[in-house]
Amino acid sequence: MDLSQYAELFLAESREHLSACNQLLLEWERHPAGLTPVSGLFRAVHTVKGMAATMGYARVTDLAHRMENLLDVQRRGAHPATDELLQLLFRARDALERAVELSVVGRERELDVAAIVADLEQAAARMAPARPGERPVPSPAPTEPEPEAAGRLVQVTLRPEAPLKGGRAVLVLKRAQALGAVHAVTPPVTAFEADEFDGRFSFRLDATAAAEQIEAALKAAGDVAHVTVGGAEAGGPAPEPGATPGDAGAVGGGPSRHIRVDLRRLDGLMDLIGELITVRGRLNQLAAERRDPAVDDVAIQVSRLSSDLQAEILQARMTPVWQVFDRFPRLVRDVARELGKQVAFRVEGKEIELDRAILDELGDPLMHLLRNAVDHGIEPPAERRRRGKPPEGEVVLTAQRERASVTITVADDGRGVDRRKILERAQREGVVDTHADALTDEQLLRVLARPGFSTAEAVTSVSGRGVGIDVAMTRIRALGGTIEIRSELGKGTTFVLRLPVTLAIVRAIMASVGPERYALPLTYVAETVEFGAVTTTMVEGREAIVLRDHVVPLVHLRRLLGVTSDRAPARAPIIVLELGDRRAGVVVDGMLGQQEIVVKGFDAPQGTLPVFSGATIMGDGVPALILDAAGLV
Amino acid sequence: MSHTVLVCDDAIFMRTMISDILAQAGFEIVGEAETGSQAVEKYKQLRPDLVTMDIVMPDMGGIDAVREIVKHDPDAKILMCSAMGQQALVVEAIQAGAKDFVVKPFQPSRVLEAVQRVLG
Repeated sequence: MDLSQYAELFLAESREHLSACNQLLLEWERHPAGLTPVSGLFRAVHTVKGMAATMGYARVTDLAHRMENLLDVQRRGAHPATDELLQLLFRARDALERAVELSVVGRERELDVAAIVADLEQAAARMAPARPGERPVPSPAPTEPEPEAAGRLVQVTLRPEAPLKGGRAVLVLKRAQALGAVHAVTPPVTAFEADEFDGRFSFRLDATAAAEQIEAALKAAGDVAHVTVGGAEAGGPAPEPGATPGDAGAVGGGPSRHIRVDLRRLDGLMDLIGELITVRGRLNQLAAERRDPAVDDVAIQVSRLSSDLQAEILQARMTPVWQVFDRFPRLVRDVARELGKQVAFRVEGKEIELDRAILDELGDPLMHLLRNAVDHGIEPPAERRRRGKPPEGEVVLTAQRERASVTITVADDGRGVDRRKILERAQREGVVDTHADALTDEQLLRVLARPGFSTAEAVTSVSGRGVGIDVAMTRIRALGGTIEIRSELGKGTTFVLRLPVTLAIVRAIMASVGPERYALPLTYVAETVEFGAVTTTMVEGREAIVLRDHVVPLVHLRRLLGVTSDRAPARAPIIVLELGDRRAGVVVDGMLGQQEIVVKGFDAPQGTLPVFSGATIMGDGVPALILDAAGLV
Repeated sequence: MSHTVLVCDDAIFMRTMISDILAQAGFEIVGEAETGSQAVEKYKQLRPDLVTMDIVMPDMGGIDAVREIVKHDPDAKILMCSAMGQQALVVEAIQAGAKDFVVKPFQPSRVLEAVQRVLG
């Protein structure tokens, strides 16, 4: 049978089980005396083993089998977990993960599992109690049953290749019992449960049936090579297994409610929907020009249908964040262990969903931030005690849904960033004004995220937190998201990531500046007001408006983009952007309404203002740039 | 009329594979269960001609599920799906009322032979 069609399913499901193994091992590590995680672990490893065996991945199967074995011994003996055992299991889990990943891409040969297999075997051997006499070793050949037993002697030999011969023997006995009373089973049935059972057994059958009938009935139990009834061999060698009723007709699969879909398919659908939305925009425009009710009707229907279709596809792409978050407890634990720190790690909002494409990109940036939190944030236990903190630090990863965006925070209760030191360095390097006497959160992030800034040794050794922040920030921005930092010396640091729930298609306000049109994703638009209708003031040297007691600095897009054509209208609209607690009012020439836009990747040429996050094609086929809220606020 | 089957296994991978093997041979997969208790519940509800039952499942294991199903229907035709090294468990399952067993990795021909024996 063609197994390749199952490879992806195997991979996806194995990954789930391996992820579960991590969670269970961590739980076990926290409560080494408890045995609850063991059965879950056993089950997960067992399932991977069964699947791998079916796929023909011998090394994965072997490794999983050894792990299963060790867990079984451990479980039977109800041994509490030693640190040594846990480390071995962690290692074995990681090896199993590699084995799974390599096997699926046909690189199983590159695997070397011998060392870990040997370690697992040794550990199991050490733990297994000597159990003399518990497993009766079956006699190699049936001994003569007691002569007083009633009925004919039946001797059965199972096929040498038959798996689990003990089970088969019990099935043969059941068939015999259907014919008459069965006595004097040799070896005793308990021997059938041992792996050493070789498939030869005998019994007395008190039945009136003819020898041929008995033989036929017993052979029907399957995997029977020979049957002799009444001392004489009643049958020749077993026939070859018959033809299978293989193609007896093809009926479709069952009513399973879930199917797994290749992500590339969903991406393909997404691209098509994107094009459909663009065409829809063009159709709407044409319909508006035609003023024909029949055309209007069709345009409205197409609009509605494509919106529904789009919503369905987007929903199909939504994935709970735990699929990425689940690997972090292990990461945090490993980093903490390596650095000799004590860290309690908590995850909240695991069930929050994000577009698969965004979620896939989030893994690395979050990994950087978590690593940083443990490495540079959390203090060593002794230092924490000196500062009157509990020796165990805390790192919390939270996901929260907020309207059309998802907020992910990475918070630690560690030492926080020493702004004074960062400021000195930033001033020396000319990153900030020499007159500045404090760094705002925003400036701090900008400084930390400068590639190479914080990797400088002097900073890293005092309070540097920047390793990878530039990487994280670039990734998040590329996803249309934003990143913020809040840090308080001695209390801890929090990174706040805001991400759109879905990529590719967003609702945006279209604005005009000079002859060009620009799109502003609605996610970050708080409201719109009219310039001239509100009074402007100057705050800290910047033009601003006051909206319900909030000072909102203004950004004149015309000036920012250097547009000199035409004249700015006297009463221009202001689009107020809101990003966390920061706001800015973007002054444009005119507003062209809202619409769905399909976000296209955008490689900004060198020297482009850092205020664009992408581009889109409008209904009339003309491209428009998408403004990056984070670059403007 | 084709025989109806309830496929019980906690791994989608295994359920898919068993379903494919049986569906190609003309069986009708009427239900799937991921745990032993689901298997018992669906058996009562669907009354399938055949049940394929994994031994190791969360919640309620396959052997307990066999006991429950047989208690409810002594004629239930249950085929155990086991792995190498589960000799003792297979023996226990048969004593609990399972009619036959197959061993992973599944070969379609062996699965179908076992099914024929069970439905015999």
